[in-house]
Amino acid sequence: MAQSSQVKSRNLDSLFYPQSVAVVGTNKVPGTVPHDILVNILKSDFQGIVYPVSPKEKSISGLKAYKYVSDIEDPIDLAIIVFPSSVVHMALEQCGRKGVKSVVIISAGFKEVGGEGILRENQIKEIAGRYGISLIGPNCLGVINTDPSSKLNASFARKMPEEGSIGFLSQSGALCTAVLDYARAKHIGFSKFISFGNKADVSEIDLLRYLRDDPKTRVILIYLEEISDGRGIMEAARDIIASTGKPVLAIKSGRTAEGASAAASHTGSLAGSDEVIDAAFRQAGIIRCRDIEVMFNKAIAFAYQPLPQGNRVAIVTNAGGPGVLTTDAAVKEGLRLASFSEATTDVLRKSLPKTANTKNPVDVIGDARADRYHIAVSETLKDPQVDGVFVILTPQSMTDIEAIAREVCSVAGQSSKPLYASFMGEADVAPGVDILQRNRVPHYILPESMPMAFSTAYRFKNRTLAGPAADGIPESPNAAKARAVLDTAIRSGRRVLLEDEAAPVLELYGLPVLKGGTAGSAEQAAELARRMGFPVVMKVLSEDIVHKFDVKGVVLNIATPDAAAEAYRSILAETARFRPDAKIKGVLVRKMIPAGEEVILGIKRDPSFGPVVMFGLGGIFVELFRDVQFRIAPVDMETADAMVRGIQASGILTGARGKTPRDTAAVCACLTALSRLAADCPQIAELDINPVIVMEAGQGCFVADAKIMM
Amino acid sequence: MQRQEIIERVKKVVARVLKIDGEISDGANFIFDLGADSAQSVMLVAAFEEEFDIEMEEDKALQVQTVKDAVDFIAGYVKS
Repeated sequence: MAQSSQVKSRNLDSLFYPQSVAVVGTNKVPGTVPHDILVNILKSDFQGIVYPVSPKEKSISGLKAYKYVSDIEDPIDLAIIVFPSSVVHMALEQCGRKGVKSVVIISAGFKEVGGEGILRENQIKEIAGRYGISLIGPNCLGVINTDPSSKLNASFARKMPEEGSIGFLSQSGALCTAVLDYARAKHIGFSKFISFGNKADVSEIDLLRYLRDDPKTRVILIYLEEISDGRGIMEAARDIIASTGKPVLAIKSGRTAEGASAAASHTGSLAGSDEVIDAAFRQAGIIRCRDIEVMFNKAIAFAYQPLPQGNRVAIVTNAGGPGVLTTDAAVKEGLRLASFSEATTDVLRKSLPKTANTKNPVDVIGDARADRYHIAVSETLKDPQVDGVFVILTPQSMTDIEAIAREVCSVAGQSSKPLYASFMGEADVAPGVDILQRNRVPHYILPESMPMAFSTAYRFKNRTLAGPAADGIPESPNAAKARAVLDTAIRSGRRVLLEDEAAPVLELYGLPVLKGGTAGSAEQAAELARRMGFPVVMKVLSEDIVHKFDVKGVVLNIATPDAAAEAYRSILAETARFRPDAKIKGVLVRKMIPAGEEVILGIKRDPSFGPVVMFGLGGIFVELFRDVQFRIAPVDMETADAMVRGIQASGILTGARGKTPRDTAAVCACLTALSRLAADCPQIAELDINPVIVMEAGQGCFVADAKIMM
Repeated sequence: MQRQEIIERVKKVVARVLKIDGEISDGANFIFDLGADSAQSVMLVAAFEEEFDIEMEEDKALQVQTVKDAVDFIAGYVKS
């Protein structure tokens, strides 16, 4: 596990635990944000004092109203500004002079509208900075703290959520209202609920760190629309997980491959923003969820139940079909159906009807009432060979749904192992589901969701955070030399370095580059080939050609000087035919190495996460199979090994089905070196090494082609 | 029209539209100091147009946020 960097969190207590709150710009018009925010604070049973600030009103909702925040005699911890954007800076300036510690700006009309809005946002940033105000927003829903010592609903969400242990952060305000409504129906409680909007000052990273230190928060959920500081989020998440063991679950919307289509390299075309986010979140230990429902399905497992100590599950059901469905889902999720101990089997056999199935999944039969569920659930749960229990109920005419729900809650409450339930259906099971949810037993409409949530919790329990933090791997001693080469090329207007020029840069990082030479004529090609020693390979050098094989720009296995000369002529003729527009630099002649497995290594610079390394099965079909792994650079050997083993076709390298194992250690060394190059040299926008030829174990690997884009 | 006369008439319009009883300062911001909402801001522009028999361009009119802004703006129209 990575060491915790333990960056101190910003003190945001005045935001979440204010003694006094001013609502600045409020009014008396129900159904408007300025009015409803004030009323929501009052309705939430806020434990501090509330001050309405309204230019015109003498009183609002029975409270004395103040014309300006500066008119309030008492100190103010938190101000919620709800004025239109055009005058927010005036209100903020007054808050600053008044000594207000934290401000939430609900108003929209800032960065998100562009133009003048950007200027307004810069202006409020400057004011907040000048007065040392912690500022949330603008353009947000507000903040909620359910802690009984504060009870603050400073938002325009209709109702205060139940108290709970989930901390929720969201970039979208409107989504928050839907999430709160969804959660309320399921009795899902929150510790803190924050919509951070445009994050002009307090960022999602500040809030993640605050929740790290918040004793009321056990699980952290975050909804992100754009990531401006990807590495910051990674570091914060790593730190939270390593230092507190709190899981971080995230939704990142916009799962599209924008920006990946027009890339000039294989790596560029394969590393869309979504793939990079997947890799970054995995590296940081963040659990990425595809939608709100999946996020909460997983979150309640973390929030309500202990983490599974193993992957052996028992299923207790009153119907065969759902038991089989759940078994299938469990196996697919990498769980095992527990084999019960003899003691458990004995009790079940004696206590359940003869027609019941006492093996896993335990079928208590359709007419089962609470007593049968009690025996099956409690006995399987206490079996030392069981790590968790899934309880399934179908609403048959004999089924006493509520009594069974109460029994399940009672058994779950006495166990240190996780128990999840699925009362299938909707209308008839609703009272039972309500009992489960109120008693914090994770409930799932579909039984297949139980293994999904369980396996997530199990993997989290066994987590190993990949690799050290970005600054954990030192710069290469040759970094300055590499940067000088790249800078020189950039200064002379170059944007692409082909194999002949990329190889020396790679060599500085110890990558196994093969010697070659560039031929400008057939005669030169023959001479170079003779010097290299046969057989040789020859290939076209052109910045305009990414797929050399497609234009017949590569000739392999050239055995004689005449064949080399002929290959030169053929390559020029074919590339001219396929790509008459391409500018040809020459033809590279290089010693041909024996056949091996071909892999691709690459670098791409992501706007949010910086340098990213890629590994995959190489050759001409790399974009077709897309069997590649990404990680944020730099990576260590352990992470590199996980990348190599992470591709679908890893068996080809590790010796599946009688194949000779390949030198994956050499590949991992290349990956770590390349990732260091990526981190050391910001000049590199994209880099492809395709292919790297991997020999048998112990025989190394060789860079067979490379290209750097700056 | 004298500037002082414009000031007086602007303040009268503002007091009527925003229902202000007390003193209105020259620098008063319609929203921040006088509590105008978005509908009242639009009504103010219409009332200025009627009072001074002018037509204010929408974009420019929206930038008029204070009594002084309104006086400067209207003075320009009345002159021309």
